[in-house]
Amino acid sequence: MKLSLGGTILVALGALIVLTPWYIFPVCEVFGDYAQTATGKLLVMPCGYTARAELGVGSLLALSGAVLMFVKTTETRRALGGVSTALGALAIAFPTAIIGMCANPTHPCVTGTEPALILLGALTILVSLIVILRR
Amino acid sequence: MVCFAVVAGSLVSTYFLVGGTRNSFDVGLSRMGADLMVVPEGEASQSETVILTGQPSTFFFNSSILSSVQGIQGVEAASGQVYIATLKDAPCCSLPVQLIGFDPATDFTISPWLNNELGRPLNHDEVIVGNRIIGDIGSSLKFYGHNFTIAGRLEPTGMGIDVSVFIRADDAYTMAEQSAAVGAAPLSLQRGQISAVLVRVDKSTDPSTVASRIQAQIPGTQVVTSNALIARITSQLASASQLLYVTTAAVAVVSVPLVAVISTMAAGERRREIGLLRAMGATRGFIFRIIFSEGVLLAAVGGLIGIGGSAVILYSFERLITASLAVPFLWPPLPETLSYVGLTLALAAAAGGLSCLYPAYTSSRLEPYEAIRRGEI
Repeated sequence: MKLSLGGTILVALGALIVLTPWYIFPVCEVFGDYAQTATGKLLVMPCGYTARAELGVGSLLALSGAVLMFVKTTETRRALGGVSTALGALAIAFPTAIIGMCANPTHPCVTGTEPALILLGALTILVSLIVILRR
Repeated sequence: MVCFAVVAGSLVSTYFLVGGTRNSFDVGLSRMGADLMVVPEGEASQSETVILTGQPSTFFFNSSILSSVQGIQGVEAASGQVYIATLKDAPCCSLPVQLIGFDPATDFTISPWLNNELGRPLNHDEVIVGNRIIGDIGSSLKFYGHNFTIAGRLEPTGMGIDVSVFIRADDAYTMAEQSAAVGAAPLSLQRGQISAVLVRVDKSTDPSTVASRIQAQIPGTQVVTSNALIARITSQLASASQLLYVTTAAVAVVSVPLVAVISTMAAGERRREIGLLRAMGATRGFIFRIIFSEGVLLAAVGGLIGIGGSAVILYSFERLITASLAVPFLWPPLPETLSYVGLTLALAAAAGGLSCLYPAYTSSRLEPYEAIRRGEI
């Protein structure tokens, strides 16, 4: 049975979006960095919440890609391509606009995690558009 | 195509790294405006790190050094600066950055910028921030419990200035004096202490001569020169750039004969088509040109992919790469970049053409009948 290349790539991208903030280019809390209040309480920083949000985005993208691998009809393929495009845009929007990353420009989440997620989101959009437009 | 993509990508990556570091150095040093920096003995390495990457640091010596430096032959102007590292993730401080206190009366580094861009001197409790410090103009930053207002933002330099905050030295001393009283982490800084003396050398004198005089006549000091900074950057970049050059050379050496073999095999597979074209009237020159131009085009496309890929990766991970290498970085000027990219593409296309010369020649020499007959076997 021939599996869709686009679907396979989207599954891989979804997995990378899940893994990037926790293992590949980890966010600050993986290194033990937290924000500290005046009373000494440790708080998760914005990058931590972005990483959690990307767990959801990446998982949905992988699911969309997995279904795409077995789809035969053009309409369903295009619909899944549209969903994947939106998920790619979300993967970019979470670290840049919706939640954001740390204010310190030297933090690992700003230097590594954010550009990696933007790149993965852009690749997702590109692959999804090809899936939609392919005859 | 992949081989040429790797070769072009490696070449362009090396250019971006080396050219970006050089550009940052040129822009950053001209922004500083100083020829030399006098620091406490033993703190030269730390001060170089402050200049190059902005890694926060705190060190002081007595302000009497300033008058001693001003008296050295060849010194046109000298101004003291105070370096204070703010605290990371502490309630007292908005960000962990390098505070640089300057004396408006003697300063010649930040004051010209203030005159040109702000049109006025810095007021009490106002700061100028480096390009990468987050915060709008007019918003406030807190350091050691003291509130400051952002009055302006410097242009990017790629060096430590981008993550530094310039304050008046007087405000720095006041901040230190009040730090314990406002419940912040106490900052131990005596009024009058400075961290470095920036020196502008007389145009007719060699900076290294003045540096030697300062170190000889003022004990307890070290002088940081632009040559020392260049040497440090070069050594830090050396391993990365060598790796890229070796990769480029290795892939280029392997890819040209490999592509030649593959092109010969591909031409062999298309013997029948070539024979038919010759039988229909195509000249030897025509056959040569289509195979040769195919090789050049594939190499150029591969080169474009490699250049595009390396530019995307470098642009995305610029801060991570330069922080890992501990070198300053500022994208080279566009005209210089475009000319280098064009040169790299031309080299890739030339390499592709070179590797296709033999198969293009042998294909053009085939007789039509023989080509068709051998193609059918």
